[in-house]
Amino acid sequence: MKAVGARLPRYDGVEHVTGRTVYVDDVRVPGTLWAKALRSPVHRGDIRKLDVRAAAKLPGVHAIITYKDVPKNVYGHLEALGVPADEPLLAEKDVRWKGQPIAVVAADSEEAALAAVQAIDLQIKEKEPLLDVRKAFDPKAPQIHQWGNWFPYFGGIDQGPDRRKIRRGDVEKAFAKADTIVQGVYRPQAIEHVPLETQVSLTVPEANGRLTIYSCTQAMYFSMGVVAAHLGLPLNRLKFVGGTVGGGFGGKVDTATETITALLALKSNRPVKWRWTREEEFLCSSTRAAWHIEIADAVTKDGWILGRRTLTLHDSGAYARFSPYGVTKHAFHHAGAYTIPNTWFDGFVVFTNRVPSTAMRGFGVTSVSFAVETHMNRIAQTIGMDPYELRMKNASRIGDRTPNGVTLHDPSSVPVIQALAQASGMELSADLRSMTNAPRSGDLLPAHLVGATAKGGH
Amino acid sequence: MARHTGRGIAAIEYPTGMNQNGDPSQAWVKLKPDGRVDVFAGTVDIGQGSRTVHTQIVADTLGVPYEWVTMDNTNTDSSPVCTGTFASRGTFIGGNAVRYAAEKAKERVLAIASKQLEADTTDLEIEDGEVYVRGARDKSIGVSDVAAIATWVEGELITGTGAAFKPFAVVDPETGAVEIEPHSAISYGGCVADVTVDDETGEVTVERLIQVYDIGRALNPTLVEGQVEGGAMQGLGLGLLENCYPYYPSVEHRGGEFGTYLAPGIEQLPEIESVLLENPSADGPFGAKAIGEMASNSQAPAIAAAVYDAVGVWVTDMPITPEKLLRALDEKAAGRPESRRDGKRVIYDEELSINTVGAHDAAVRFEY
Repeated sequence: MKAVGARLPRYDGVEHVTGRTVYVDDVRVPGTLWAKALRSPVHRGDIRKLDVRAAAKLPGVHAIITYKDVPKNVYGHLEALGVPADEPLLAEKDVRWKGQPIAVVAADSEEAALAAVQAIDLQIKEKEPLLDVRKAFDPKAPQIHQWGNWFPYFGGIDQGPDRRKIRRGDVEKAFAKADTIVQGVYRPQAIEHVPLETQVSLTVPEANGRLTIYSCTQAMYFSMGVVAAHLGLPLNRLKFVGGTVGGGFGGKVDTATETITALLALKSNRPVKWRWTREEEFLCSSTRAAWHIEIADAVTKDGWILGRRTLTLHDSGAYARFSPYGVTKHAFHHAGAYTIPNTWFDGFVVFTNRVPSTAMRGFGVTSVSFAVETHMNRIAQTIGMDPYELRMKNASRIGDRTPNGVTLHDPSSVPVIQALAQASGMELSADLRSMTNAPRSGDLLPAHLVGATAKGGH
Repeated sequence: MARHTGRGIAAIEYPTGMNQNGDPSQAWVKLKPDGRVDVFAGTVDIGQGSRTVHTQIVADTLGVPYEWVTMDNTNTDSSPVCTGTFASRGTFIGGNAVRYAAEKAKERVLAIASKQLEADTTDLEIEDGEVYVRGARDKSIGVSDVAAIATWVEGELITGTGAAFKPFAVVDPETGAVEIEPHSAISYGGCVADVTVDDETGEVTVERLIQVYDIGRALNPTLVEGQVEGGAMQGLGLGLLENCYPYYPSVEHRGGEFGTYLAPGIEQLPEIESVLLENPSADGPFGAKAIGEMASNSQAPAIAAAVYDAVGVWVTDMPITPEKLLRALDEKAAGRPESRRDGKRVIYDEELSINTVGAHDAAVRFEY
């Protein structure tokens, strides 16, 4: 019997539904301390005083860490991809979002840790936050980030440009030739990942000097690299234990707790667990970003899309995290499932004083899919064309090229839309029923698309 | 006051694997003395069932029963590198890693069987845990026996390693062009949404979602349907319910608990009909492409179009809450047009544009 293609049950399904799966919070080690964080009470401000001495003397408190305890406090998760570091593990001079961690306590109980958090002497001078990505570029906007209000390094470490650009063909000409230009604004919102298992880790300092880190990360090696970089340790000092996650959806690529419990375990020489409350998960864990997308399309009266201009503002929140990656991915897909020979795209990673956004299912593309597809439906309505026909006509075909110059080998929007029509009882015309994804020819290869196929240039 | 029905469509595409590549997954396969198989890989299972799918891939690559294969993804000491479970890369890149490792182990099984059967390795095939001489099925030896001979006679550990990796795709900063494909494959999909809109309460109910996906090949259709149906509910949440900042850009009124953050629940579950098309990919394990992330991308635009079909207003500032919908209906009733014509331009949502909200002398405006 072949296994591939078979409807085999999940390897761990029965364990999950009978409650026998061991998640990180189910791991109990004798002598474990519990962590609680002091978080910023304001959206933006300068730290004037941070004194943990009184808190450290409270009963049951074993260790408190601040930025001073982190060997490498500012580390960029995407430094290997050319995205420089901007975010401190623990805030040092200023805070940029409400909930940003400043100090973390390890104590005998969560209650004792909370009491110590409340005893930390923190004084902050509050400053005006920036919250609307559309106002970040104003001359009078508050300047909230050391790099300015938007990410300036899309060309690599210390290298511009300050936006992800896609430039293909001649957009000016396409707009001049258009019968209609359809313009719209699309604003997919920030949302929570809502995992049942909140962010959690347990670090156990072993007798041999290693740290065993029980983690809910979606990416054990990636998170191990993050911890090793912050702590300045070789990988053989760390052992990540995980692989089973109670819901991630992208939010558990963040390595939110592991470095902190590792630092506290080293400082206290005790196992330390940090499990976020539901409220922390909602308010202090990263979110999917809010996006602001403006599209203008040059359209002919018979439904060809000759050109597209797009401006995307990605609300990164207070720091960059994975946002430059997300905006690049967004840029690559800004033509959607269609072939548009002339495109002009500018995408910005804009900083605001809200919790940093991060990866979430469909990172970068969910937003552009919403914008592009709603825009397609509006074009169909505006020029009075059937939305199926508009889509199938412009749908990518074998040999077509994407805006960033990738030749498509096996695009299948045409069969997908045909199957959708069939499943929903929509009658397609004979022409549309017999259409395939074969390379363009005849009526489906108008002059403006000749250069858009594999033979043409970028 | 009335209830109106509407239908909308969306068609999407989604890349498989990390954007710009450079994201390795590695695996190690070894045989126990009775031919049972251990797989070590770092692929984290975030609920999608990757351990099951990886196990299926190894079983069929080696030609042994599925029950013979056990996968360990529990720690970084025994598992080699996996960049992570994100970017819809588990089945394709993680799956290729275990496939390559299993192919290497299979070469050793065939080499030892070839001596025993006095046949060339190229004439051998493995099925259901038996190595056969092609065309002479009576000449065979069990993989269990091969593993035993390797262990107790040949003094060999039958093992194989695999690494799936595509080099980093550099992007031209001025044009966005890439020299090599910045992904492993592209999947396609689409959705038709049927909704009912109550024009008195502003409530939108999704009655039915019809979805089609071409993901190359469904290695485990049940798990694919799990992704597709769960993804549909997340897409419904995006379209109608969820928002961290209900009055964005304001940071007030954030929901800090399940009672105040509107995630979709079972009461919103519509009828879901899913069709899987299979046009195998060139490079994926057994023709697979990815499904994970794209499963929540087509519903929101299909729902927005269905709402327009039902009541004639576009809400593009997501999600379509009753409040936003009722405001849009009020605007429409007051006779205010949704778009402005300017020569051959048809301009929607002007009030939301950076050109309206931002300063006139701002460093960035939407130039068109």
